[in-house]
Amino acid sequence: MAAEMMGVDMVTILVDDIELQVPKGELIVESVKRLGIEIPIFCYHPRMKPVGMCRMCLVETGTKQPDGTIRKMPKPQASCTLPASEGLAIYTQTPQIIQDRKGVLEFLLINHPLDCPICDRGGECPLQNNTLFYGPSTSRHIEFKRHAPKAIPLSEHVTLDLERCIQCGRCVRFTEEISGDGQLAFRFRGASMQPSTFALSAFESKFSGNTIEICPVGALTSSQSRFRARPWDLESSAGVCTLCSCGCNVWFDHRIGKLVRVNGRTNNAVNEEWTCDQGKFGHDYYNHNERQASVFIRTSARLESTSWTVGLGEIVTKLKSTGTSAGFLLGPKISNEAGFLACRAATALGSRQVAGIDSRVELGANFEVPADSLLSLEQAKVIVSVGPSLADTLPIVYLRVRKAASQKGAKVISIHSSPTELDEFAFLSLCHKPGTLSLLIQGLDGSLALEEVALQTGVSAQALKEAKTVLEGQGVSFIATNQVAHTEGSAALSDLRRLAKKLEANWNHFCETASGFASLASCSGLGMELQSPESILKKCLSGDIKFLWLVDFDPFELVKDRELVKQALEEVEFLVVQSAIASEASHYASVVLPQSLPAEGGGSFTNLDGQLQNFDAFLPKIGMARADWQIFAELLSRMDLAAGMFSRQDILQMAAKDVPYFKEALTGKQDHQPQPSGAGV
Amino acid sequence: MSDLIGLQTLSEKPTRLDQSQLKLNFSEAAVSQLEEIKSHYPSEKAAILPALWIAQREYGGFLSSEAIAEVAHRLHRAYAEVEGVATFYSMYNTRHKPGKHKLEVCTCLSCHVNGAYRILDLIEKKLGIRPNETTEDGLFTLEEVECLNACDRAVVMQVGDSYYGPLTESLLDTIIADLKSRTESTVIQMADEIVKVHLPESAV
Repeated sequence: MAAEMMGVDMVTILVDDIELQVPKGELIVESVKRLGIEIPIFCYHPRMKPVGMCRMCLVETGTKQPDGTIRKMPKPQASCTLPASEGLAIYTQTPQIIQDRKGVLEFLLINHPLDCPICDRGGECPLQNNTLFYGPSTSRHIEFKRHAPKAIPLSEHVTLDLERCIQCGRCVRFTEEISGDGQLAFRFRGASMQPSTFALSAFESKFSGNTIEICPVGALTSSQSRFRARPWDLESSAGVCTLCSCGCNVWFDHRIGKLVRVNGRTNNAVNEEWTCDQGKFGHDYYNHNERQASVFIRTSARLESTSWTVGLGEIVTKLKSTGTSAGFLLGPKISNEAGFLACRAATALGSRQVAGIDSRVELGANFEVPADSLLSLEQAKVIVSVGPSLADTLPIVYLRVRKAASQKGAKVISIHSSPTELDEFAFLSLCHKPGTLSLLIQGLDGSLALEEVALQTGVSAQALKEAKTVLEGQGVSFIATNQVAHTEGSAALSDLRRLAKKLEANWNHFCETASGFASLASCSGLGMELQSPESILKKCLSGDIKFLWLVDFDPFELVKDRELVKQALEEVEFLVVQSAIASEASHYASVVLPQSLPAEGGGSFTNLDGQLQNFDAFLPKIGMARADWQIFAELLSRMDLAAGMFSRQDILQMAAKDVPYFKEALTGKQDHQPQPSGAGV
Repeated sequence: MSDLIGLQTLSEKPTRLDQSQLKLNFSEAAVSQLEEIKSHYPSEKAAILPALWIAQREYGGFLSSEAIAEVAHRLHRAYAEVEGVATFYSMYNTRHKPGKHKLEVCTCLSCHVNGAYRILDLIEKKLGIRPNETTEDGLFTLEEVECLNACDRAVVMQVGDSYYGPLTESLLDTIIADLKSRTESTVIQMADEIVKVHLPESAV
């Protein structure tokens, strides 16, 4: 067994008279799973510390006597707080335990309302399931039930139904142990105990959505999908969140072709099972009422609906004349295939003008695969996070950093110019004056006197000295994003990289968008450089670019300089706007192409540490919309630039020939296979 | 219980107190007492209970949200966690602000059979308040409590840290007259006594 090889002490326990070798100290509730035995639980959660609050996991225990017989303890014990020890005997199926479980459930049901027929949890509710399998079949309760408010809005996203709460404390422990904001606690006690925020203020956690998922009853419900669908009417399909570069694995729950809610899907290498609020509640653009459903072409002053043949034909004609001055702006959420094909088109046409949000050229940085993966980040001894709030830009990286700090004892150094969530548990917070990051780095690498740096940056010399000592140790990982360059200048970013290299630390310059890693890899594989959107727009103004293709890129939202965007879009000769939702840019378009979203068209996505994850389509496409990769595959075929692209797999195979990253991803690493799991448990 | 929560819409919800907006009301003596108490424990979390007693004394017998926030701030704990601790214990006044004196009448079994509700009625009539209410002059708050562990003196009533019982009408009159003549609040006095228990003789 792997555990034995790693030098973990093994002990022999007896589970229902079956001998079992388990690591010493493993919780019994986990050990019995090795035999496929299930112990019902409510408050226990494998990723949080056990508390033994609900008493649902009771087992009978005993110890082996010298004469070989087993002497049972007179009282049952909670298996979630019981560590495995040599000679421990566990009984999970005795008449006594069956009786005890009935008793516990009867207690829980005394005050639990029987509103299952209207409850959002009904059908996927651990309390329902456990009652069905282990509970009493009838109720003896004839007294009045406790009554409490039915809909307390804890925050914009979370609504609390207090009557349904069985006081397991999962949500409270989540905010204490996982997200670390400590926003929820139990107020009062006994029957009036209630999970609540301080002084009933708003529940402002950036990870509040997870409490809805881990609630074993329908007490915490999503304000967004409350009463929208019964769980058994929903179909769950495995998907990947594309709202940032973390690439969280999620379940898209949909009903009659409409997305209803998003739940976390377990993948230990990425998001464990958590989601951020942005990912969990930010997918309602699928149901946007201005989804692009038809191809439009500009005839004189108006956009007129047309067919793909005409639309693409117009583009092909135009590209044949102005192909060498064509530019592509890659959107933050496009698939690997589309990103690659756009880059491929740019090289084949000879223009080589491709831009994306995660561009590195103007920042004085080159594309480097991050040294750490999300998993290895957990093992770091020292984590240096530089730049604005990590919980906002890369929420799942933030959870990893927090886990490393709180569970593995990593020292976190947070370098920023305004307070962030990291400060609450950081070993050192170096809050410098805006614009002085370069100086601070010079202090840390020893090229400037610490006193001088302290004076200029506003960080105390003592803290700088301490940081310097910590950084000279082993196992240091740096985390930075383009935000560092945007706030402190590109010189600061390259200084930071130099410092990391000098210290022989792991340098992680993470992408921020879902398409970032693959676009950068494709560009460097094809011998180009991913430019910044601004530089492409400026080239439109100067006339270097006459043909601009916005690949699901909304410049009015993603580029700060609005005037520049306006002028560039007016100036450019031919503008193709490929988007899923009608945007302001469509008004300037020569041709508008309707694009489907990942859940409708499929695609593969690479997250910030280079894991390629497939996302298969399961929702119907809207109107004439096509997947982003389909559009480019057809374009390249029509222009005779490439052929034989009939599926996503064909495109990836083609990409593997040109781009080393795709070759490695397709042959080396195994794609994560989704395993359906029961919600909530 | 619904009255404890009060259905609020989201826009009415107060935002969490920012540390910079926090008004710190602990006196210098209280701060040094808290430092002394903190030094008795391995972690600051362990000092929450005595710190809440200090807060109850400093904030005039009532643990308001501000009082709880100050304790959380001084012990570097989450606001919600400290509020959870404070609301768990009934001797911390978190539900309503008590008057100068808090009359806690036991209505548990022994006192009940000895006429606790008759005594309660008497007090209600004399002071003109119902349980959990405070007289208009802010002198008395009446509360019904569970067993005070003094069944030999049933019907028993706790005021501050003294027990009175068995209660009769004449005894009640003398107690009320005596309490009216006092200048100090028994609620604050009691909090102070409990804080002192946590401190060594020299620090008191």
